[in-house]
Amino acid sequence: MTAAAVPLAIRVDAEVRANLCEGGPNRRLVLGVAGWPGSAPGQFAMLSPGATGAAPRFDPLLPRPMAVYRAAPEPGGAAVEILYKVSGRGTQLLADAQPDERVRLVGPLGTGFPLPAAGQRALLVGGGTGIASLHDLAAAARARGPVVVLLGARSAGDLMGREDFAALGVELRLATEDGSAGRRGLVTALLEEALAEPGAGDDLVYACGPTPMMRRAAELAAERGRRCVVSLENRMACGFGVCLGCAVPRAGGGFALVCRDGPVLDAGAIAWEAVP
Amino acid sequence: MSAAPVDTAVDLGGIALRNPVLTASGTFGYGSEFAPFFDLTRIGGIVAKSLTLEPRSGNLPPRIAETPAGMLNAIGLENVGVDAFVADKLPLLPDGLAVVASVFETEIERYAEVCKRLTGVPKVAGLEINASCPHVKSGGIEFGQRPELLGRLVRETRRASSLPLLVKLSPNVTDIREMARVCEGEGANGLSLINTLQALDVDLATRRPVLRNGLGGLSGPAIRPVALRMVWQAFQAVKIPICGIGGIMSAEDAVKFLVCGATAVQVGTANYLNPMAAAEVADGIAAYAAGQGCARVAELVGTLEMPGGR
Repeated sequence: MTAAAVPLAIRVDAEVRANLCEGGPNRRLVLGVAGWPGSAPGQFAMLSPGATGAAPRFDPLLPRPMAVYRAAPEPGGAAVEILYKVSGRGTQLLADAQPDERVRLVGPLGTGFPLPAAGQRALLVGGGTGIASLHDLAAAARARGPVVVLLGARSAGDLMGREDFAALGVELRLATEDGSAGRRGLVTALLEEALAEPGAGDDLVYACGPTPMMRRAAELAAERGRRCVVSLENRMACGFGVCLGCAVPRAGGGFALVCRDGPVLDAGAIAWEAVP
Repeated sequence: MSAAPVDTAVDLGGIALRNPVLTASGTFGYGSEFAPFFDLTRIGGIVAKSLTLEPRSGNLPPRIAETPAGMLNAIGLENVGVDAFVADKLPLLPDGLAVVASVFETEIERYAEVCKRLTGVPKVAGLEINASCPHVKSGGIEFGQRPELLGRLVRETRRASSLPLLVKLSPNVTDIREMARVCEGEGANGLSLINTLQALDVDLATRRPVLRNGLGGLSGPAIRPVALRMVWQAFQAVKIPICGIGGIMSAEDAVKFLVCGATAVQVGTANYLNPMAAAEVADGIAAYAAGQGCARVAELVGTLEMPGGR
């Protein structure tokens, strides 16, 4: 089912190569990460801007979990890209990080996406910043079978990375709430249609985005008897299974840790009604 | 670090430590989670996550929240239980690392039973009685806040085990010196302080607490000055050694605790944001002592120049 051997995480003070505005509050961070051991699609890293140097800052205290958007290997490490949206103090500090400054990084972390079987169609559903988790999955799934990527956001400017997905040669379908790109409406409407397409076989559905979006995607997949995996977001202090702050209730009782057991979990394994 | 001719070894109430840095219970898992990040024998020891007689699954989320220079948590003492710790977790730890087992329970008899099960287990160098965890309603807070209850708890756990016994004190008391004296009088070999400060934050959009549990424990650099004050006060009140805890992010922070009277320290919340923090603190203390011309790190302990002496 899931991934191959997962590389051990490292802690490193990564070099900011670029920190670009992608329109509005959306940004693209490119980090030079020495010793990056590679990552599986769906893994993440913890980022602490301001935590390095002679006068480290401890307010805000906690690192922010960020999906690895993609990583380009280079001698001695990799250039790791992060797509993010400025939405609070932590992400504002990240946005303020200038080229040549350092950002502390711990990663790669977590359990990533299972890949589709050879020939199985992958249906990727991304909403808002959730799009950032899906790029490397789309690339890996493309090598195994047909891939349809459904991206949704409030408006066209929030469809981060859409050109990158198009460049992968996957089928791309868009939805925006204001109709400024693709279909007007929610991305889950696109999923409903895709699942109903004639000849749609044993699709594997992947969803990452706001909780209501993932929950709806899980319902639609279940109605069609398809497997659905989701990539969850949560507050966490460490990212590697120690603080136990990111627990989500399991359907059968007990908890899964988003950082270690996830962020990718089978939709059916989660007690959605208890997810805050 | 080879240049520093400083003796870093300390004796924490019968627990021999290669250097004065441990990790605080609940912030370091069962230890092996940190093996990818550094060789665990670079630090003196670890205090493992608090153990109960049976496994516990913890509180509903949200369990943590960020606060100014700190964080709130109400995890609910989720743990694998004492038997699974001994069978599955201890064997993963390297020799030469002092492992202190933290013990938490809801009744004195159960505390004593957990202590018994840990006694005689290879690799367990000592016990830390968690008398202060502020977020399980029926549990720890009452032991740590009432001198007579605390005294009974220390007496019974002392009787249950021959291992060196540390008692982790709650800061949520009027006079930490009274609690420190009670523990010393009942035979504790050392004190760990402070545990988290009981705290609350509010989500104004819902007018509900930010944590599902309501109240939580505050940790991080925000609490460090409170911890330093309490370590200093306890140091004045008792002769048994003190392990200082509270918002240590750097070696300089740790040295402040030594100066206030701590024989050793525990790095806690810092482990979350920097998984190499404890190792860096250990290295930095040795470098600091060398820079001060100390032959032994222990020379720094209790060297605070307090105006008026107290």
